[in-house]
Amino acid sequence: MTAATVIRFVRTRREATVLAMLILVFLGLTFASEFFLTGRNLSNVARQISVVGIVALGQALVIIAGGIDLSVGSVIGLSAVTGAIVSATTGMPSLGIVGAIGIGMAIGFTNGVLITKLRINPFITTLGTLSIARGAALLITNGNPQRFDNWAAFLGYGKIGGLPVQFILLVALTILVWLFATRTRWGRNVYAVGDNARAARLAGIDVAKTRILVFTVSGSLAGLGGLLLGGMLTNANPNLGLGYELDVIAAVILGGVALAGGRGSIGGVVIGAALIGLLRNAFVLLNVSGYWQTITIGLVVILAVGADSLNRRTEED
Amino acid sequence: MTDCLLSARGIAKSFDQNRVLHGVDFDISAGQVVALLGENGAGKSTFVNILSGALPRDAGTIVWNGAETVFRDTRSALDAGIIHIHQELSLISSLSVMENLFIGDYRTGRSGVIDRKSLAAKARELLARVGAAHIDPRVEAGSLSTAEQQIVEIAKALARNARLLILDEPTASLTPHEAEALFAIVRDLRAHGVAIIFISHRFDEVFAISDRVVVLRDGRVVGDRPVSQTTRAGIIADMTGRAFTFDALDKPAISAGAPVRLKAEAIADKGRVGPISFALRKGEILGIFGLVGAGRTELLELLCGIRPLAAGRITRPDGIVPVNSTQAWQSGLALLPEGRKTNGILPSLSLAENVAVARRQKQGAILDLGGEKSLFARFRDSLGIVSEGPQQPVRRLSGGNQQKVIFARCLASEPEILFLDEPTHGVDVRTKADIYRQVQDLAKKGMSVIFVSSELPEVLALASTVMVLSRGRQTMLAANDRLTENDVLTAAFAQA
Ligand SMILES: Nc1ncnc2c1ncn2[C@@H]1O[C@H](COP(=O)(O)OP(=O)(O)OP(=O)(O)O)[C@@H](O)[C@H]1O
Ligand SMILES: [Mg+2]
Repeated sequence: MTAATVIRFVRTRREATVLAMLILVFLGLTFASEFFLTGRNLSNVARQISVVGIVALGQALVIIAGGIDLSVGSVIGLSAVTGAIVSATTGMPSLGIVGAIGIGMAIGFTNGVLITKLRINPFITTLGTLSIARGAALLITNGNPQRFDNWAAFLGYGKIGGLPVQFILLVALTILVWLFATRTRWGRNVYAVGDNARAARLAGIDVAKTRILVFTVSGSLAGLGGLLLGGMLTNANPNLGLGYELDVIAAVILGGVALAGGRGSIGGVVIGAALIGLLRNAFVLLNVSGYWQTITIGLVVILAVGADSLNRRTEED
Repeated sequence: MTDCLLSARGIAKSFDQNRVLHGVDFDISAGQVVALLGENGAGKSTFVNILSGALPRDAGTIVWNGAETVFRDTRSALDAGIIHIHQELSLISSLSVMENLFIGDYRTGRSGVIDRKSLAAKARELLARVGAAHIDPRVEAGSLSTAEQQIVEIAKALARNARLLILDEPTASLTPHEAEALFAIVRDLRAHGVAIIFISHRFDEVFAISDRVVVLRDGRVVGDRPVSQTTRAGIIADMTGRAFTFDALDKPAISAGAPVRLKAEAIADKGRVGPISFALRKGEILGIFGLVGAGRTELLELLCGIRPLAAGRITRPDGIVPVNSTQAWQSGLALLPEGRKTNGILPSLSLAENVAVARRQKQGAILDLGGEKSLFARFRDSLGIVSEGPQQPVRRLSGGNQQKVIFARCLASEPEILFLDEPTHGVDVRTKADIYRQVQDLAKKGMSVIFVSSELPEVLALASTVMVLSRGRQTMLAANDRLTENDVLTAAFAQA
């Protein structure tokens, strides 16, 4: 790689801009806080990144296919309480896991079917299910947090070989989704559909099935996210994951996925999630008010995407 | 030159490392029609994009109207009177035809409100001028066929006061009839002192309307002569860099006993096309001709299951009659649709993927990426696709090369019946000959082909059977052994 190609890479790939930001924040924190590089804090950061990252993997597929899934935050809440209730009533934690992921999968599938069969716009559809899933979570719990058994704490706080369980899950899922997106027919169809749905259909791609698939994956991963987040708090609050969709979408966009569909890399999405997680951690360590967190994340998204589109304005059209 | 309206000197342009224009010199005076010719990827569109401010140049000067000028964007070029109709259609499909016609230039009353009535009246006037009075200015532009959209683009140019009109392959989807209407307009504009740059791969048109012919090869001007001093062979030699002869095509003979692959009995959709009947045999090449709006595209869509059948019956030996495009490809059909930008290319995906996409759907879940690369290499060589490599996004190719990629996609799926809607849209002469030869070779090996073309010579050269449509009705179905252009045209204008 010559210097020119490196510069070109940085200029034309949003992931690269974000990776640079990530490194800056990391270095900054290392100097600004003595707690940052402690094992305990790094594990916390890893957990934080993991949930955003896992849910963002599904969201990325949806956005690459030209859609958007606003319901993930509510699905997190609903699946957490579903998991807690199922395992408490049956006494079987494994059923709790199935229940949590299953409810997410069901909502994702429903989103996909509504969008493709009834042709309701994805934004509207998932705005609807965002409301419905949250309402359902509140309804079945009467608004009360549900206790999680010990097994959930393993997902939330457990470690395997010194690494948080969630982080291992993130790595494994990233590799899986990456392989799916780059090496399988269905994965590439996701890109084709987002790039030009009409042409994709006329080239023999089953566009409806592809769309249903990505929403189902997104719902399932959000279900898993709910389980992990609930496990971290050792109780399942029906309001869990409120507003989470914004972090997730921000991570996807920071990762270089085009909101118009057709373009984006899975690796980039994890970088985006890492930046969001790190920023959230920074505010805690530096003791900055939570309000500033929200503002800063908004600014970072605008900054990264703005720099990126300035860079490639000449290139697009 | 002092009487030049526009004079470009040493125009150079690169995309990344790829030098596309190497110092192009070009002059045009008021009231002159200059044909700009060259093979696919020679740099024609890139050059005119620079003239109209759509692309920045790397080097060179442009003198416009006696003063050195830099058009930073299309807006400033437009204000100076440079109107550019792009190779790829650029109407906004969700807006009505009339909104498209006057976009950015709505005549509003004092209140600032658009007066839709007078807008519609003006739009009708313009459409009538381009011979398209049948288009309702209030319908959405997206609902028009590609050729109709092309005509609206031309009308849109007339809505403004042009001093230099750039037409990048305006006739590629027009039949001779509509093209003739366009030429009448071009001659009229020329008489009013408008300068016109005309890009085309159809030589007859070039000889019919241009005053001068400029030939580009690999981004350099290799010929610049008055049209009276050029010949077809001379231009082709300039374009390709060598003398070039066309092998005469020999149409495959179809034995009467060849099995029928597809049979249509009085098929029709809801109102646009039908009833139509024919039987397509193994190895047969059925060419469909008709004027714009005759229902040719609609017929292909009916046959491929994209448009619902309202009446009649389609039968195939295996009994499978597809009801959507996915099933169509699965069952051994392949369709090259009209309108490569909207219906054909997957713009950000790589060339290799664009070629492999349809074939993949018939294969396993895990992709053979290496195999796809060599698949692309095969078609790159046989069709002469000019590119930087299999990973290049297809939107970066020249229009004609994009067309070849979609053609390759169809062949790569190894279909039993190949449907082609304007297969050579925007393709240069040499490649056209290559495409014809490949289609014939495949037909000899047993593939059946149904193709639609606006180019009558193409239909007569390639088809073993010719069908003509006129306003949705079938006015001719005949073996192509003694057919003349006249027979076909008569049928195309017939009132069925
Ligand atoms: N945006 C782009 N990025 C990179 N390369 C490009 C881009 N646009 C055009 N090219 C390259 O520039 C060369 C010239 O393209 P151009 O579109 O000017 O050809 P053309 O003469 O108009 O061909 P055609 O007859 O096919 O329309 C081609 O090799 C093409 O691949
Ligand atoms: Mg061109």
